[in-house]
Amino acid sequence: MPTINLRGAQKNYGVNSANAVSDLDLEIRDGEFMCLLGPSGCGKTTTLRMIAGLENLSGGEIRVGDRVIDSVAEGIFVPPEKREMGLVFQSYALWPHLTIERNTDFGLRLRKLPKAEREARVESVMQALDIAKYRDRYPSQLSGGQQQRVALARMLAVNPGVLLLDEPLSNLDARLRLEMRAELKRLHKEFKTTIVFVTHDQWEAMTLATTIAVMNEGTLQQMGTPNDIYDRPANRFVAEFVGSPPINILSFGKPGVSDIADKAEAYFEACYPKLRGIGSIGMRPEAMGYATKLEDVPQGSFFSEMTVTGVLPTGGSWILELRSENHTLFLTTHALPRVDNGERVFFHVPPEALHVFDAEGQRIVEADTLLRSNTYN
Amino acid sequence: MALLSESTKTQVLGRNPAAAPSAWQAWRYRLKVALREPTTLIGVLTALLFTYLIVVPIISIVLDAVRVQFGHERRLGKDVGDLTLYYLDRAFFSPVASDLFWRPLFNTLTVALGAISLSLVIGTVLAWLISRTDMFGRRWFATALIVPYMLPAWTFALAWTTLFKNRTVGGQPGWFEAIGLTPPDWVAYGRFPITIILALHYTPFVILLFGSALRRFDSQLEDSARILGARRYQVAVQIILPLMRPALLSSMVLIFAKCLGEFGVPYVLGLPVKFEVLSTSLFRSIASRQTGVAGVVAASIMLIGIVTLMIDARLVREARRFVTIGSKGSMNRQSRLGSMRLPATGFAALIFVLSVGLPLLTLALSTVMKMPARFTLDNFTLDYWIGTDLHTVALQTGILLSPELWAAAKNTMMIVGLASLTSGILGLLVGYVVIRTPVRALSVYLRQVTFLPYLVPGIAFAAAYLSLFAVPRGPMPALYGTVTILILALIADQMPYASRAGISAMTQLGKDPEEAAQIAGAGWFRRMISIVIPIQKGSLVTGVLLPFISGIKGLSLFVILAVPSTDVLTTYSLRLVDYHYTQAANAVVLIIAGIAYFGTLLAQKLTRTNLAEGLGS
Ligand SMILES: Nc1ncnc2c1ncn2[C@@H]1O[C@H](COP(=O)(O)OP(=O)(O)OP(=O)(O)O)[C@@H](O)[C@H]1O
Ligand SMILES: [Mg+2]
Repeated sequence: MPTINLRGAQKNYGVNSANAVSDLDLEIRDGEFMCLLGPSGCGKTTTLRMIAGLENLSGGEIRVGDRVIDSVAEGIFVPPEKREMGLVFQSYALWPHLTIERNTDFGLRLRKLPKAEREARVESVMQALDIAKYRDRYPSQLSGGQQQRVALARMLAVNPGVLLLDEPLSNLDARLRLEMRAELKRLHKEFKTTIVFVTHDQWEAMTLATTIAVMNEGTLQQMGTPNDIYDRPANRFVAEFVGSPPINILSFGKPGVSDIADKAEAYFEACYPKLRGIGSIGMRPEAMGYATKLEDVPQGSFFSEMTVTGVLPTGGSWILELRSENHTLFLTTHALPRVDNGERVFFHVPPEALHVFDAEGQRIVEADTLLRSNTYN
Repeated sequence: MALLSESTKTQVLGRNPAAAPSAWQAWRYRLKVALREPTTLIGVLTALLFTYLIVVPIISIVLDAVRVQFGHERRLGKDVGDLTLYYLDRAFFSPVASDLFWRPLFNTLTVALGAISLSLVIGTVLAWLISRTDMFGRRWFATALIVPYMLPAWTFALAWTTLFKNRTVGGQPGWFEAIGLTPPDWVAYGRFPITIILALHYTPFVILLFGSALRRFDSQLEDSARILGARRYQVAVQIILPLMRPALLSSMVLIFAKCLGEFGVPYVLGLPVKFEVLSTSLFRSIASRQTGVAGVVAASIMLIGIVTLMIDARLVREARRFVTIGSKGSMNRQSRLGSMRLPATGFAALIFVLSVGLPLLTLALSTVMKMPARFTLDNFTLDYWIGTDLHTVALQTGILLSPELWAAAKNTMMIVGLASLTSGILGLLVGYVVIRTPVRALSVYLRQVTFLPYLVPGIAFAAAYLSLFAVPRGPMPALYGTVTILILALIADQMPYASRAGISAMTQLGKDPEEAAQIAGAGWFRRMISIVIPIQKGSLVTGVLLPFISGIKGLSLFVILAVPSTDVLTTYSLRLVDYHYTQAANAVVLIIAGIAYFGTLLAQKLTRTNLAEGLGS
């Protein structure tokens, strides 16, 4: 499948409503496994449906390779049935009056394949997704997870150039979800299918995707590899959306509101006087360490003394809740914490792990080099 | 991948796709999307069809009321078709206005009000007994007391005449007359029996509507008042009644609208004493070819009907504010009747006997008795059903052997069947277009135009059809006396139910199954045949069956539009009434009642729905 390109794609459902998707530029390259990630209602499903042609555009265009398949300005609209894409619906949308086998078979019949080939392909996808034993049942006689697999099988059978998946794993239990994730990853490798995958589960996105596109309120926030998104969030929204427990944000320019923020501001003024216009900084809980004695705090790092108010085990790691006079922070540690509630500790963050945003919440890119170059010890 | 072979390859140089498209570009794009599939085309075609079948007849009859009709050119000194206030004047202000309009209006209103009051009193008590008490046999009564609604109203009118007919009218005397107790005219005919019969016929409305409101009512509201020290009657008056008001008002309005269009009962029981209501007055104007006056009366009936149902829509909207959401456990607590348990059951049983048992038994007995009210063995005969060589002027065989009955039955099946089938399919199509078309205006128009006949009583609608199709217009030949006009009128009359069924079926289906097929590569026709129609099979069956049942027992449309050669069962039995063939008429009515009753049961069984949802059909 050639590259799919959305340019300035826009969708507005009603005359008086806000744009569900506005001015979206998205490039989905051949063989990519792209995740659309974002909070509920941010326009992920809408984007997927626009690509599939189930939703017409309010503006902009969609191209496949150098062919325009959807454009308001040029008056071109290729209907969904001619786009030859696969879409697995959020609600599965199995046909209630057809058996599992006929559901899987439907697309192939339309393509008028010879019977033998059809049967072979249906058989192989049904085997691959472990639904062959339900072939003569109707969708209402299957569990949610089984239905989801039929929905997948139905699309895989026709081997579409691109597979669009709308939260396909949301109804599975934890174990099945893991299996299906592995299955999807295997399918992606084996068939080299381009996959666009919608989720609001960041871990799903992190573990599956080759590229993640983070959306919020109908606009694209950042597009990049999972590491990019996590290590260099383009703005505060992305920083706060990705990561659990969420990133700790310290807002500058409001003296007295938070003592920790005030300390951070003083730290930046002392160590990085050249950096101006900082609106806020972020510290990932995983990037933070703690020490019980001041001399154990690494040099050059940003630190402050706080009180432990909670130790929450999360299975293999622990979250420490730290409080100062008027600020609460979270910190993750992988070693069994030897501190108790009420104890005073020093948290510390190395400068290269600090995320610096301007007043509009955009990442200050120059800060990254600056913070990294300043080596200590 | 062989993608998009037919899509054009375009130059993209020097163009910014993100720039907002111009209004013309956006419009062209939307048009392209809209015309891509037959949905919009079908929508436009059905919209045109219904404009012709529904809107145009209504406009036509309103115009009849203000334009000079054939035969009046000379008197009015104007040409046919010129505007005139003559008919309005005649119907509203002339010396005959009282006969034509005002007295029938007064009678309609008083009969309706009487029927409403009576059915409210009986209905609320029964609804309460059925849904909130420990009366014996509640569940059985819940179904049994709805039966009058499944039968044609004038079934009861015929039963009444069978019992109470006196010497005022010829033919066989009524049972009371026959045993020497001559009922006075006011008992036998006119306002009194009409009011009673309509009340009994529409009591199920109250039971259904009020009962379902009662069942939704949270007993905790009652309990809180009791705990605060309110007495039983205070709770009833201050808590329950205000909360039930929307349901009560709504059933009142519905009964009123139904009474307005009711023709059979006042025709059978009012005619002998010249007791006229608006529908019979309209019928008389049409029968005497007073087209202009008929237009005025029909338009008046429509206006009253439309206003009434708009009030109802308003009430329903207000009723939403009253919906109380209670905890499930406490919702349907029953009151203990104690020593009143038996008398209460007796009351329900009495109403059942009066509104179902007695009338049906009377009718059934009358069809096997030679002389009324003589219960000796030699008086019983099956001749009226299957006899031959009877010594009567016409109809010399039993009704089941009479070719007229079978002709009428065949007509009924064909006319009602064809109309129901068509309106069922059209209803599904309308539902499809309304839900799917990207053109919003089309969706709104289709939904509203197909609902319009609901606001117009059948008799007025029939008059409208007569006005439009009685004479050739344009390419359309005169249709009066043909089967076609009956079918067209029936289709239009049934569209509100058919389209409502179609819309709700398509809403329930949702977009997903079809979109999934679209993604799989299925075009419009393939999706229709492989996905939409198979899934909607069930609703299609109901969408055909329910109108079929209401069409079979319907009278007011046919009585205006049918001629002897296009007789259906209902008009045939009415003709038998006119000729005083009491037994035969009653037998035909029993056949109709049987079909309607068992048909309703079948429809309920097939769709597992409750009658309450099909209310008003
Ligand atoms: N058919 C519609 N009509 C009007 N508004 C709609 C329609 N579909 C979606 N929207 C609106 O568009 C916005 C984006 O919706 P969308 O379904 O794309 O969100 P989403 O990111 O998929 O959310 P979720 O994660 O909950 O599935 C929402 O604000 C939603 O309310
Ligand atoms: Mg969604």
